[in-house]
Amino acid sequence: MIRASTILWLAAVILIGYAMFQVKYEVVQQEERLARLSHQIADGREAIRVLNAEWNFLNQPARLNELAKRHLTLVPIGTAQLLAGIEALPMRQAAPPQAGGETAGAAPIKTSAVR
Amino acid sequence: MKTPQPRDENPCRPRHFKPPPCSPAPLDGPAKQSLETSHTRLLITAALFCLAFAVVGLRLVEVAAFKRGDPRLAHRGVATQAVQSRADIVDRNGVLLATTLETPSLYADPKQVIDAHDAARQLVRVLPDLKESEVYAKLTSDKSFIWLKRQMTPRQEYEVNRLGLPGLQFEDEEKRVYPKGNLAAQVVGFVGLDNHGFAGVERGLDGVLRSRGAPLALSLDVRLQFILRQEVAHQVADFNAIGGTGIIMDVRTGEILALASLPDFDPNTPGAASPEALFNRATLGTYEMGSVFKIFNTAIALETHAATMASGYDATNPIRFGGFTIHDDHPQRRWLTVPEIFTYSSNIGSAKMALDIGTDRQRDYLGRLGLLQSPAGFEIKEVGEPLAPSPWRQINTMTIGYGQGLSVSELQFATAVAAVVNGGVLHPATLVKRAAGEPAPGERVLSEQTSVDMRKLLRLVVEQGTGKLANAPGYLVGGKTGTAEKVAGKAYATHSLLSSFLGVFPVNDPRFLVLISIDEPHGNAKSHGYATGGWVAAPAVRQVIERIASLVGIQPVDEDLPEIRRSLLVTSPTPVGRKFAAN
Repeated sequence: MIRASTILWLAAVILIGYAMFQVKYEVVQQEERLARLSHQIADGREAIRVLNAEWNFLNQPARLNELAKRHLTLVPIGTAQLLAGIEALPMRQAAPPQAGGETAGAAPIKTSAVR
Repeated sequence: MKTPQPRDENPCRPRHFKPPPCSPAPLDGPAKQSLETSHTRLLITAALFCLAFAVVGLRLVEVAAFKRGDPRLAHRGVATQAVQSRADIVDRNGVLLATTLETPSLYADPKQVIDAHDAARQLVRVLPDLKESEVYAKLTSDKSFIWLKRQMTPRQEYEVNRLGLPGLQFEDEEKRVYPKGNLAAQVVGFVGLDNHGFAGVERGLDGVLRSRGAPLALSLDVRLQFILRQEVAHQVADFNAIGGTGIIMDVRTGEILALASLPDFDPNTPGAASPEALFNRATLGTYEMGSVFKIFNTAIALETHAATMASGYDATNPIRFGGFTIHDDHPQRRWLTVPEIFTYSSNIGSAKMALDIGTDRQRDYLGRLGLLQSPAGFEIKEVGEPLAPSPWRQINTMTIGYGQGLSVSELQFATAVAAVVNGGVLHPATLVKRAAGEPAPGERVLSEQTSVDMRKLLRLVVEQGTGKLANAPGYLVGGKTGTAEKVAGKAYATHSLLSSFLGVFPVNDPRFLVLISIDEPHGNAKSHGYATGGWVAAPAVRQVIERIASLVGIQPVDEDLPEIRRSLLVTSPTPVGRKFAAN
């Protein structure tokens, strides 16, 4: 009787001890992972800062102005165009329905792009 | 205690002998009592141990088996918060103007350097901007820490690492980076090597930038800043001028949307900038602004009822006063009404009007408009102190009437004009964005009626007077030209001019003010040799207004609509601009 309870307790102690160490190791691992992730986050943030600085550097108005002049065939809106007001803009013309299996929504956009 | 019979002390006792059945002698008295006590104690202790083990066990099961949501440790944010010693500076739309990046800096521990001569030679090969003799001197010094090169590029760091020299170490340092370069250099300013603010907002708000994490939003708009700077630079180049300035201000809040001063510099390399480039002409330079000052003269005259919109002055002959002669640049040689004096920028009429105002009232109102003391609490410290005459004689009163004899910074000037046109409330100028809906602090300095009258007069100048080249159709520009002869020593230098134009739009309900000044322009073929404000600065103001109007959300209007005509109609006894509209 005494033997049995001792064995039972011993088993419980071993089990709990094992589990305890298991949890401890897991915690240590998690902490290492946390530190690693924190480091990665800090690195990521620094990278974002660098990229943001570069993005803003590349978006200097003078440079964009130059690029727009070189690559676009657009000019700033003139006063006369603005004076007419937004109401003066015609609505998009509904294109005649195309033969073929195109959906109704996509058809006018496609035709206007092709023309 | 009476012990039971010893059983095995006799080794000769036969093995078959069975001991008597174990029946302990009945206990009694104190022995029994103490046995029971210890038994109880044992039980209690065992129970406590059981309980403790049970708690530990249960907790273990709980932790291991039932994983609950998020571990608390992650929420503590260990090292996840980026440590940043200086806040970013952004414009009003969040465009980055200044940020802090980590950059490696190279230092040496000379005690660990084995062959200083060889090390110096190799270092100079990968870092050509270092001098070999200097590096050698540093590597042989008896310190244990000495900077060799600070704030290097990642490529340079790689090259130095590849040399594999002992005694060289890197340390990450923070470097302030200005991605927009020259664009707002005068406003943003720059920092020294140890990231202390040296100029501009970096210096003026050094403490704020150090203590906050969130980016600091300025009132500037990078788009407007670019347009303003480009147009000013264009005029400076076109008229072969020594410099130029521009200010765009929101007259309802005092926020400065753009501020340019040319020549300027790249804040990433402030060491390379010349003193002229570092000098902020728009805030630190004080100038006698010239005829644009007639805005204040006329406003004060109307406010104090020294003159009305219907009064007039004789501007037929120049005024001789003491040793001075006051004459007109655009002489009409006749009796002029107040609107005409303003439209044709008559010095004679303005001087007479100033006399009617009187010295005390003039000084009082100029003081209220903030023109006699440097603006308190402005975010940058490069602010010029105005230069007022002392003693303030009658002749000073007359000359100040048309803008000579009182030097102010363009910042002060723009702030005061904003008060004249916005309904009479002086809002202190600011470079920091006001929160949406936050009422701008202000102080009433002029009446609503004076402001309404002044708007009409400003419109008249652009429609019929000296500022016609500033007329951006559809935007109802009002303005005033100014051409001041710069003071050289004790006299005025006839050929070094400060040519300015102040534009306000839309003038029937002013929202924005554009001030452009060109320093020492030289007339060219396009301007028929003129270098006056109306020829040099006014066209630039027109360009700026046409380009920025859609960005600031001003819809052009048909200027001939009857209600707009009526709102700007000047009721004066003589028709203005009948025969002199040709300037």
